[in-house]
Amino acid sequence: MLGGILDDLLTSPSTGPCITATRHFPPRSPVLVPFPGSLDPRIGEALRARGIEELYSHQARAWELIQKGQHVVIVTPTASGKTLCYNLPALQALVHQPDARVLYLFPTKALAQDQLAELEELARQLPEMRMFTYDGDTPQDARRAVRARANLVLTNPDMLHSGILPHHTKWATLFQNLRYVVIDELHAYRGVFGSHLANVLRRLRRICRHYGSAPQFIMASATIANPGELARRLTGEQVEEITESGAPTGDKIFVCYNPPVVNPELGIRAPYLGEAAKLAIRFLRQKIATIVFAQSRLATEVLLTAIKGGVADKTGDSGIVRGYRGGYLPTRRRAVEKGLREGEVLGVVSTNALELGVDIGHLDVAVLAGYPGAIASLWQQAGRAGRRSGSSAAVFVATSAPLDQFMITHPEYLFGTPPEHARVNPDNPFILVSHLKCAAFELPVGDSERFGDLDVRRFLAALEDEGVLHHTGRNWHWSAETYPADHTSLRTVTTDNFVVIDTTARDEKQTKRRSIIAEVDWGSAFATIYPKAIYLVESEPFEVQELHFREDEEKVAYVKRVAVDYFTDAISAKGVWIVQRLTEASQPAYLAEQGEVLVAEKVVGFKKIKMGTLENVGSGEVELPQQEKQTTAAWITVTPEVLARVGPSREELIDGLRAVTYLLHHLAPIFLLCDIRDLGSWLGDTTPVTSGVAATRDSAKRRLMEAEHFNPTIYLYDSHAGGIGLAEHVFEILPDLLRRGLDTLESCACQVGCPSCVGPVNEVGRRAKATARALLRALTD
Amino acid sequence: MAHQTLDDLRRVIRRIETRRLPRAAPAPVEEVLGGELIDTGEGQLVVVRREFPLSHRHGHQPLAGALSAPLNLLSLLARLEAPLEDVRQLLFLDAETTGLAGGTGTYAFLVGAAWLEDDRLVLTQHFMRDFDDEPALLAALWPLIERANGVVTFNGTAFDLPLLETRFILARRRWPADLPHLDLLRPSRRMWTASFADCRLATLEREVIGVEREDDVAGSLIPALYFDFLRSRRAAPLARVLAHNRDDILTLVGLLGWFGGALAAPAELGAAELAGLGRLWEPVDLERSLECYHAALGAGLAGEPAQVVRMRLAWWEKRRARWDTARALWEAAARHAVFDPRPWEELAKFHEHRRRDFATARAIVDDALGLAEDAGVPSRVREAFSYRRARLDRRLLARG
Repeated sequence: MLGGILDDLLTSPSTGPCITATRHFPPRSPVLVPFPGSLDPRIGEALRARGIEELYSHQARAWELIQKGQHVVIVTPTASGKTLCYNLPALQALVHQPDARVLYLFPTKALAQDQLAELEELARQLPEMRMFTYDGDTPQDARRAVRARANLVLTNPDMLHSGILPHHTKWATLFQNLRYVVIDELHAYRGVFGSHLANVLRRLRRICRHYGSAPQFIMASATIANPGELARRLTGEQVEEITESGAPTGDKIFVCYNPPVVNPELGIRAPYLGEAAKLAIRFLRQKIATIVFAQSRLATEVLLTAIKGGVADKTGDSGIVRGYRGGYLPTRRRAVEKGLREGEVLGVVSTNALELGVDIGHLDVAVLAGYPGAIASLWQQAGRAGRRSGSSAAVFVATSAPLDQFMITHPEYLFGTPPEHARVNPDNPFILVSHLKCAAFELPVGDSERFGDLDVRRFLAALEDEGVLHHTGRNWHWSAETYPADHTSLRTVTTDNFVVIDTTARDEKQTKRRSIIAEVDWGSAFATIYPKAIYLVESEPFEVQELHFREDEEKVAYVKRVAVDYFTDAISAKGVWIVQRLTEASQPAYLAEQGEVLVAEKVVGFKKIKMGTLENVGSGEVELPQQEKQTTAAWITVTPEVLARVGPSREELIDGLRAVTYLLHHLAPIFLLCDIRDLGSWLGDTTPVTSGVAATRDSAKRRLMEAEHFNPTIYLYDSHAGGIGLAEHVFEILPDLLRRGLDTLESCACQVGCPSCVGPVNEVGRRAKATARALLRALTD
Repeated sequence: MAHQTLDDLRRVIRRIETRRLPRAAPAPVEEVLGGELIDTGEGQLVVVRREFPLSHRHGHQPLAGALSAPLNLLSLLARLEAPLEDVRQLLFLDAETTGLAGGTGTYAFLVGAAWLEDDRLVLTQHFMRDFDDEPALLAALWPLIERANGVVTFNGTAFDLPLLETRFILARRRWPADLPHLDLLRPSRRMWTASFADCRLATLEREVIGVEREDDVAGSLIPALYFDFLRSRRAAPLARVLAHNRDDILTLVGLLGWFGGALAAPAELGAAELAGLGRLWEPVDLERSLECYHAALGAGLAGEPAQVVRMRLAWWEKRRARWDTARALWEAAARHAVFDPRPWEELAKFHEHRRRDFATARAIVDDALGLAEDAGVPSRVREAFSYRRARLDRRLLARG
């Protein structure tokens, strides 16, 4: 069935020419080894009872290293039996030592539940196993029993951070006897989340030292470039890598699909969301289980609407296709997972939320609507289709953004490049300080004590000045009434979340019941739930009535169900100013610098965009406060000589520089592990921060035009307050990035610029591509 | 600090690094607080010791009252697994802390402990002059806890004891998890839930023991006062915190005495207290509970509390098939100033099913419907009565 549709896809005149490359991955047979002699025979029995007669080679290797006492990270593909690598030593420890304790960490509660089910299966003949999940869903009255009984605790970093470590005396037995800490989905802990986890683990190791234990870390990760380095950064320990998989894989084909050009002069391609929807519908109509990955929450909703419309049978039932993303409430997500496992749900449109190993059963096809921002994610998403046997396919549909177009037209790069580095910055001062408070709350911090391997005395003194620490004798003590873990969320740099409350029923039935339909984090709230915004949940439109964001009120958006055929896209104003220069590199044509900047952003209005055709059908204004953050950035200031040589008109130079900014921002993720949204870009100048008022594109342009000193500067900054290490990396690779920008520009077939190189012509102007080319030539000379 | 900028942080750090903290010599804390500095072998701490003769009255409650408390009954009422035995072996405990958040970062900076010895109550308060006095505080507390056969607290189950346990475990000390513990909050809740707006110690002290504190410090301000002291080293404002803690413990002793008196001589109690005693006995000894309820009504319990007791009592009497008693209670409850459909319904059921007197039952339902109409009760209540009336009509008809 799948083969037939694929043949048709590759050869038919309508789709065949869009396929820029295919790659066939032949099936691989397993490399098996017998159970190790040191494995407890009863565990061997339990495995056999589940049909496991031998181990894959990587599982045996993990066993060997772990028994030698080493910390390990296992990096093998989806469905290669990673979990057995950590379950075996955990079971062995618990069966052999009645006092031993094991802690499992998963990035989500759902994954912990999945794993609990699997362990229960395995532990049927092993009465020594007493495993429980301990997380936000554990009822208060059951918590004491879990603490007293469990010898294997499954939890998440958030609960460890706010529920376990600050109450470590209640867990004294666990910490005294902690043998293993298992961290699954290690690759999920990058950026902000990873930087937080590294600090939580610093705290964990501190508490373990207090109780006299030194647990071994066992970690499992999807393929990334630096699993060992990431594991070391997170745990602060030396870690052995296991990368050779002995598991079998089925037959698989990877297809690159570039939407057809519909306007050659403007370089405009058919909308990628429409193309992705068409492909997904084609599979779903043949009852082929399909997962579609979208790159944003909004794209998820738009795709879901289109696909539901395409598969709805005569009665209009499109329930076999569901949406899935962060922000949906857990019950809704559990229902979708269950539906997929049990086959009632045939298709799902998801953000990268389903990239992690949540058990959703077997799927045949993955459609990737847009490049997910990282090679590692690309393979992770493609890996969601196909398990150990049988054939499967993944189709990558490119957007017209430069990064996507680069990937789709350079398949050798796509297939040949190793996955990216996962970066964390445990020493981000905001994150670090939050965790220092928690650490001091848990145990007084000694004068000569290091946090991880860091000297933190300056921070401790700052915290005493703030009044939350008190120094006496040789220790810093927590001296405030508050519970610091409550004020630190691991998922963001700042903490507040907005809840989205549906008031439709309240207004109709006069009930006071609050119906919470979603959650939105602080960082994206102003751009998604501003008043009059259309907020979509499983493609159902809600209009935001009120947004409550003041410091002293509960963060809430009140929404009402509406019948509209458009969604909204925020228009924002911005400004970037230099706060401190840390490094510089002088080139003949430009000065590159790296340091700290102040970024101001403000949502000033929105566009209404029609569903389906995506045409602009109106706009509105919004009154919201300016949001400011300090972060790290790299920037280039082009010398006046080069500017004079390239173009005489300031306006043309500004357009050209903006084109370069767009290009560099969109190409930088090739070199970094990051989502394009982890970086921000802006064309400003080097005027020191004085007023700091954000400006729209137009007024920013006017400001540059009228400036006394014309010193335009391209900023690429880290989107996360305080920075997570991206800007430093941008600074290092700037020469390569500029060269890659020039290559992309010169190889783009459009005449005057398009979204695939310098941005849409109507935004950057008709001379922008030519000016940008001249600038980039000068900058790479 | 989450919303601060890097610059702010840096500024703070610079400010600190370029500054010398002036350290003035503070007046010795023990002098200011009227205690002495004790050496424990694990460092020093301030201990303030007071003795009260047993004739001392706290409010109108003599401390000696606690001596005669029937511990076996109280243990039963507090549902302790092993009964407390000797009042003189009990330790009264109350801690003042650096916050209510719980967890390992909340300290008990002042722990008051009291016990009965010969003809007096000995009350010692253990105070940390700074966080590094904590080992000494725990060391001083340990022998008191070790030689006690039980502890008495108010809300110690949820707060003081888990907090002390955390402190002991943090200091790698043993904590007697099986120490019998009488938390007076539990019996107090049953005793006074219908009488007062809340069951806080301050409320009971005022209403039951008759103490009006002067210049008391609000519990919510105590952590801030301690933090101020840590920075300023001026101990004088803490004198009020020590007085507060002392009063709390005296009230604890007084409350135990009050319970003792109430259990020993219920006849002297007022109507509301008798009802409370009934609630207290209810899960433990039903006969005694019902006696108390009857006594409360006999003593002139009125209003809503009386209605609650009547219905409760009638429910038990019905379960034990003492129909005449139950009927009398329902009839009294039906006369309650505010219309209450429950006794009417019970009476109708009683006449219809027990006595098979359909005519009386029908008359009762009729009256109830009339009253329900006037009282404006929810329609489903009236529907239930109408339904019952229709059935009674059918049965009357069938009988002819």
